[in-house]
Amino acid sequence: MRPLTEDRLRATLAWVVVVLIGGPVLGAVLLGVLHGDSPCILCWAERIGMILIALVGLFVVRYGPRPRYLGTAVLIAVWGIYMSLRHSGLHLARDVGQGFSAPILGVHTYVWALVIYVIALAVIGVLLLCVREIAPVEGAREPGKVGRFASGLFIVVIAANALQAFASTGPPPWFGQGDPVRLSWNPKHWVWSFEELEPYYVSLRGSWTIPRPDARAADPDPGHGPLAVLPGITVAGWERIGAPLNGAVSGFARDSATGRFLVTTDRYGVYLLDSSLSRVVHHVVVDPGFSVDLSPLAGAAFLGDTLAVLSTNKSWALLLPSVPAASDSEWRHFLASDDHVGEVGIGRFQTVRAHQMYVLSLAFDPAAQELITVSVPNPRHHQLVVSRFGRGDMTVSSEFEPKLGAGLELVAGRSLADYLVTGATVTGGRLYVISAAYSTLLVIDLQAKTVTAAYAVHGLAHPVGLAARGPQLLVAQADGRIALLSRPSPSR
Amino acid sequence: MEFLNLVLILWAAWLVWRRPEHERLAFTLLVICCCLMALTFFIGSHGSLVPGVNL
Repeated sequence: MRPLTEDRLRATLAWVVVVLIGGPVLGAVLLGVLHGDSPCILCWAERIGMILIALVGLFVVRYGPRPRYLGTAVLIAVWGIYMSLRHSGLHLARDVGQGFSAPILGVHTYVWALVIYVIALAVIGVLLLCVREIAPVEGAREPGKVGRFASGLFIVVIAANALQAFASTGPPPWFGQGDPVRLSWNPKHWVWSFEELEPYYVSLRGSWTIPRPDARAADPDPGHGPLAVLPGITVAGWERIGAPLNGAVSGFARDSATGRFLVTTDRYGVYLLDSSLSRVVHHVVVDPGFSVDLSPLAGAAFLGDTLAVLSTNKSWALLLPSVPAASDSEWRHFLASDDHVGEVGIGRFQTVRAHQMYVLSLAFDPAAQELITVSVPNPRHHQLVVSRFGRGDMTVSSEFEPKLGAGLELVAGRSLADYLVTGATVTGGRLYVISAAYSTLLVIDLQAKTVTAAYAVHGLAHPVGLAARGPQLLVAQADGRIALLSRPSPSR
Repeated sequence: MEFLNLVLILWAAWLVWRRPEHERLAFTLLVICCCLMALTFFIGSHGSLVPGVNL
């Protein structure tokens, strides 16, 4: 292949400018004129990036391939790839068929932007590969016939873009909008705004800056809680997990059929204990990294014979004990095992109302055959959401924010979301949850979706799990101690 | 600001085409336009460098 001379390179670039300006940039203007399509603020930046690459092309056509032009073009293309990825990331994970504005040939404009920037970068690379060494020459060159055509087309198309920008975004200091209105040449329909500045904050991840929950930092004093004047429940006694564990307790459950306990630890330990809490029946240490991220474990529940463990990010694993498991085949699931536990399944709960919220508890409702989680609040989302998942498909079946029942009253300016639920269990048709914040036991009627009662539990320190044993509720603490409470009757 | 940016781009392109002796000014305009584009994108993304996805 013959290397590109400077003249051929400049002619080729002039055609590249014609294609870039006459294709996507002119096409975008025509979309506006013919179909009323208005770009959002991010689309405008992406379109202007393409125009700037074309402008650099005109610089090369006029002055030759100087290093600073090539460097600028590469930087703009890289920035354009970032912009289009950042923009597409807002929409790519939506449900099927959903997106921003209308697609073109089945693909939305922000994805086309990514394609165009990648092609532009590839074209720059190919041209640089093909061009032969060129001695720097000062001064301007004649643009040639194609160069003049490219320059004229550039001026006309960019002027049309400027007109569209004036109508849809306004003169400075106004700028584009996240949700633009359709293009109109009637000034009465123009919307010029600063809406993108409100609210404005600078962060790496924006609304996804969600800190991991930390129950240790919670205020345990029930008197500081959001519910006014609560009756108290006295801790009737204490028991202790006598079996050796590999870390602090992070989840706790009891099987009413066998009396056995299920305990998870902050070091990924899963322990099936006998009814005295002193002997390990089976245990494994789950591998939290492959392939579902299970760190850290925060909840446990018995699903009949199956053990369910849950991490704070709503990822779960189902384990089956008492099955002689081949240690080699289970090696990929567990960091340690007694060879009598097999992994049945692993996955992630998807939620809607509890989206972007962590959980610290898991319960199982045997009557409804549903697993239940309760969200914990974070600086971005201050909600207490009860999510229920079908046992059969492990998919969300309903979610609700519980209402406040009769006789319960919130302190002014407070909400149920001030609680930090770290343990949950279903018994007698009701969901009982324990909050590490303000050491409060809440009773939730799952049918009425209502908190029917609440009790202050003095003396708890970092509760991490809740289970029922006959007329008792057992509150497990991270230190392995178990507080025994008398289960309140359904009616307060 | 998009309108302003496009007007500056037009100015730079006009200089390159019709007043090539002003290359330094044209290139300065190009750099300013790049910065303005990055600024408006940053404003439009509400300062969040990463979209709403898990990293």
